[in-house]
Amino acid sequence: MRRLASPFGIGAAATVVLAGVLALGGANEYFFFAGYVVLQFVVLATAWNILGGYAGYVNFGTAAFFGIGAYTSVLLFKSLGAPLLVQMAAAAVVTGLLGFGTGLLTLRLRGIFYSIATVAVIFIAETLMINWRYVGGATGLQLLRPAPMLPFETYTRMLFFIMAVVAVLAVAIARYIEISWIGRGLRALRDTEEAAECSGVPTLRLKLLACTISGALMGVAGAPLPMYLSFLEPASSFSLNYSVVALAGAIIGGTAHWLGPVLGAILLASMQQIVTVTISSEMNVLVVGVMLVVFVVAAPDGILGLIRKLRRPRAAAGKP
Amino acid sequence: MTGIKRRGVLVAGVLALAIGAFASPALAQQPIKIGHSMALTGALGGGGKAALIALQLWVEDVNAKGGLLGRKVELVTYDDQSNPATTPGIYTKLLDVDKVDLLIAPYATVPTAPLMPLVKQRGLLLMGNYSFQVNSRVQHDMWFNNAPWNVAASWSDNFFKAGKKFNAKTVAFLVADQEFAQNLARGAKSIAATQGLKTVYEQNYPPTTVDFSSMIRAIRSAKPDIVYVMSYPNDSVAIVRSVNEIGVGPSVKLIGGGMVGLQFAPVMESLGSMLNGWVNYHTYVPEKSMEFPGVKNFLARYAKKAVEAKVDPLGYYLPPYNYAIGQMLEQAVTATKSLDHKVLAKYIRENEMKTIVGGIRYGKDGEWADARVVMVQFRGVVDKNVEQFRQPGKQVIVEPAAYKTGDVLPFDKARK
Repeated sequence: MRRLASPFGIGAAATVVLAGVLALGGANEYFFFAGYVVLQFVVLATAWNILGGYAGYVNFGTAAFFGIGAYTSVLLFKSLGAPLLVQMAAAAVVTGLLGFGTGLLTLRLRGIFYSIATVAVIFIAETLMINWRYVGGATGLQLLRPAPMLPFETYTRMLFFIMAVVAVLAVAIARYIEISWIGRGLRALRDTEEAAECSGVPTLRLKLLACTISGALMGVAGAPLPMYLSFLEPASSFSLNYSVVALAGAIIGGTAHWLGPVLGAILLASMQQIVTVTISSEMNVLVVGVMLVVFVVAAPDGILGLIRKLRRPRAAAGKP
Repeated sequence: MTGIKRRGVLVAGVLALAIGAFASPALAQQPIKIGHSMALTGALGGGGKAALIALQLWVEDVNAKGGLLGRKVELVTYDDQSNPATTPGIYTKLLDVDKVDLLIAPYATVPTAPLMPLVKQRGLLLMGNYSFQVNSRVQHDMWFNNAPWNVAASWSDNFFKAGKKFNAKTVAFLVADQEFAQNLARGAKSIAATQGLKTVYEQNYPPTTVDFSSMIRAIRSAKPDIVYVMSYPNDSVAIVRSVNEIGVGPSVKLIGGGMVGLQFAPVMESLGSMLNGWVNYHTYVPEKSMEFPGVKNFLARYAKKAVEAKVDPLGYYLPPYNYAIGQMLEQAVTATKSLDHKVLAKYIRENEMKTIVGGIRYGKDGEWADARVVMVQFRGVVDKNVEQFRQPGKQVIVEPAAYKTGDVLPFDKARK
């Protein structure tokens, strides 16, 4: 009870309520299209941070999990007409298992070699989908959305609300991992894997757990994509952009705390949305690159690290 | 009512009248906004930039004539990065934030596909821009695609018609292993079967293939009369080069068909004389039979802008069709004196559209009622000269009969 009433619990509940109120209100439909994308990146950055931030395994394969999540949905929708929530649950299971399998195969690699191996997962997954005609092959598949669930007026509003709930759940899971024994173990293996193992930290088990949870969350983020677009094709579903923005969001926000990826993703995805429709799409890609370079050079601990640094002199000055 | 309140009501009334008096003419002067996204970056960026120049030229022209319904026309453009994930958001912004009056679809099939449910749901007119069978599932009755093809067979039937002249008995297929290419190849194979052609070689190659020498050698040893190729720009260049180096043998009378890329000026310039003899699909070439009213003037103006923008200087493939989209909207709005999407769609469905790419009538599915994919044979092409392609005779139309400007020559003869 006390846990639920914690500031985090209140904040999470308030976010869900706010998303619900907005989705039921009279705001412009475009707001929900843009908002959905921002929330989707919050989930992806948070999921990336579980393995990349806490455990220090830089994963470039976000797009693979995201795309497989989307294709799981398409498969279920086309073959069984499964509702969205079932599609999302199935996507979580499939991409969780994929995360586990990928982890088993690649976690022997470290550093840049691990990262390169994760890029390969994207190409394998994309090639498979290109050659699978049932789910649209290279041309893609058009889908007609069913009617939205009550009380939502449009499907996009419903998706916005669902993605807000998923974002809150993803952040809650990341926070739990961070403050629990899992997070302590992951941090230990990030700093020195051998030392952690010698101290009794079950490194392989923890890494596999992180891979599975991270993969499952990325898959859930991708699951509503076919309904959001009413269409799915491999090139854009497995775009490296998803990997880059998820990674950049976590790094820009700060990888040490669950709040970092949330702040980073909101800042980055919002800026991208604004720049795309105000300046140009070329600039939107540039924004990610420039911000990443600026933060890596000037604020390697991200926004949270910057805030901490700015606060410290003040706190020190306040002391007698 | 107190004196202050009465004065307030009076002032408010006068203001309301003043706003009413001035607002209507002001509103009438607001431009007609036409919204669209275009692939200005990404894989389709080259074609998208050229297409945008054409649309801008149409806006210039229509505004020079006084606009539409007495209002200026304004184009609202966003870059969709050739990415279908961006188009639903962009078109929602166009409709709900920018409040555009009319819509044009993005260039190509994939970025357009996600929009079809949106426009169907909202009952909107959408002018298609070089898509392929994007409406087959949604069946929206206010969709009008401006591209000179309709069904898959319409891309290749003229190629096989050209092959009849040689009394061909055998055929070889070389096709990219991509869905779109495979769809077209299926259409081509069914036509070949109908004509009683025996398939002596059939190869699907992965889209990343760069070396075609083994395939060309295999074709050579299979000795087909016709070689049908369905390829993408990089593959097309590599295949033409391979054939030039290795040769396909004297049996081959007709080679080409569905090679994407051989319509683009940079590719044509770089391949030069290697193109001679190839027969390939096109949508527009500067031959006498395709001198539609206004197209020459358009291409001359386009060429100037294209050089400045560093895009395809010839612009035969896509730009005239984009200008024509503007013309269709202009014709429909002027004739109906309306911006109502249903009224405009009814007009376009029932009338012939007069454009710089000829007269267009639409079928029930929103595709051209009569496809017009011409087969051209490259002849007398020399190296490193893009300007030569502005002259007739370099891309001779060999099919269909209505546009024919020369008989098809056997491959080896046309190369001499």
